[in-house]
Amino acid sequence: MRTLRVLFAKEVSATLTSPIGYTVAAVFLLVLGYTFSLTLFVTKVANLQYIFHQMYVLSILLVPVLTMRTFAEERRSETLELLLTAPVRELWIVLAKYAATLTLVFGIFAATLVYAIILDRYGEPDWGPIYAGYLALALHASLLVSVGLLMSSITESQVVAAALSIGTFLMLWFADSVSYLLPPPFDSVAINLSLIGHFKPMVSGSVFLSDIGYFISASMLALFLTTWRLAQR
Amino acid sequence: MTLSSIDATSPREALARTTDIPAISAVGVSKRYGHVMALDGLSIDIRRGEVFGLLGPNGSGKTTFMRLLAGYLLPSAGRLTVEGLDAVRDSLAVRRCIGYVPESAPLYRQMLVGEFLAFMARLRGLPEDAVGAAVERVVVELVLGDVVGKPTRALSRGYRQRTALAQALIHDPDILILDEPTNGLDPRQIIEMRELIRSLAGRHTVLMSSHILSEVERTCDRVGIMLNGRLLGVQTMADTPDLESWFLSLT
Repeated sequence: MRTLRVLFAKEVSATLTSPIGYTVAAVFLLVLGYTFSLTLFVTKVANLQYIFHQMYVLSILLVPVLTMRTFAEERRSETLELLLTAPVRELWIVLAKYAATLTLVFGIFAATLVYAIILDRYGEPDWGPIYAGYLALALHASLLVSVGLLMSSITESQVVAAALSIGTFLMLWFADSVSYLLPPPFDSVAINLSLIGHFKPMVSGSVFLSDIGYFISASMLALFLTTWRLAQR
Repeated sequence: MTLSSIDATSPREALARTTDIPAISAVGVSKRYGHVMALDGLSIDIRRGEVFGLLGPNGSGKTTFMRLLAGYLLPSAGRLTVEGLDAVRDSLAVRRCIGYVPESAPLYRQMLVGEFLAFMARLRGLPEDAVGAAVERVVVELVLGDVVGKPTRALSRGYRQRTALAQALIHDPDILILDEPTNGLDPRQIIEMRELIRSLAGRHTVLMSSHILSEVERTCDRVGIMLNGRLLGVQTMADTPDLESWFLSLT
């Protein structure tokens, strides 16, 4: 566990000393602030569903910017050689990067709690969908970060890593839209792979174990594949 | 003497009491990348406490062999042991007794030199209360006092190489693996690095690579010549009055 702590601290420090994290946070919060104000003034309805959908889309576009450097940069600068020749298990390296990136994403999400506080101050929001929405976003972020790490682990180009991540996320997003073209049982597989199909019910307040299971199992699969990729020498 | 006859708490401690067992032993070690055979059936024993030089042109397999020893790569075939431990099966234990400096001397650019050394000390499992002393020791040993508070990205090539060597020495390993340690250094820095490596002999087993004949000649106790992934010959420097002629005759 101490090794994990040491690696986690190093990753957090790398994030805080790089302008990328601040830029992503600024863009994310600027766009959301604009949308929140606009939606609130136009609809005058005390809910965050629209904001959650916007966060879903922004995360798909911006999380790859955070994950692209995780392994690709270490590979390019050859510091990965230092990590992999130290007495450290590959799993710790992967988990440290996963935890550090997820912490940053959660930090950005946490800043949006101010919208919920504003709604509470001036209205009577239904807190169920808000709690469920944040749960959905946390699970969504976990999946995005773990897939982003996987993509970063297979290339030394950060741009390629980001492009692969966004491509994968878009394919998962729209997986259900191609289901009608596929014969059984592939059509139901496509529907079940859909990112939005598992996100949408939670945001509206319906929390199903199958949706939670989808995000957790997809995250674990991606983390496993990243560890396996690192162990391929 | 056999291992079982030695009274010790761990295999490594047992091995440390004998010089019979080579520090590094490779038997028929190969590494293949797709259709390319980077290392082809290499067999070699490297003795405890010696400075062993691998000499050969670029692409001869020196770096591949060093990466196999350091645990960065896994062999495609053959058996590789370090301090009597299997480099594949006991990879973590092997990595604990090795200090490795890759050819490019990579450092984390966002860290200060002192931070980087402390990070590497912790990563190599030094207890928290020993980290400060370990950093201090290598800073003194490698004369890094002037740059310990500087960011690693601001270092000259010479200091960069020293810092990379310091991280390899931070846990006082039995074996040091130095890939082209004088690469990119100016003449004065080359002399300093050579003296540094010579001063490490005895306390550590040093395996270094180079493609410069004179460097190997002046630094090493024994030398092995590699070409196209094969080890063509091994000799002590004492038995090699003319390294250049021997190198040319083999290659």
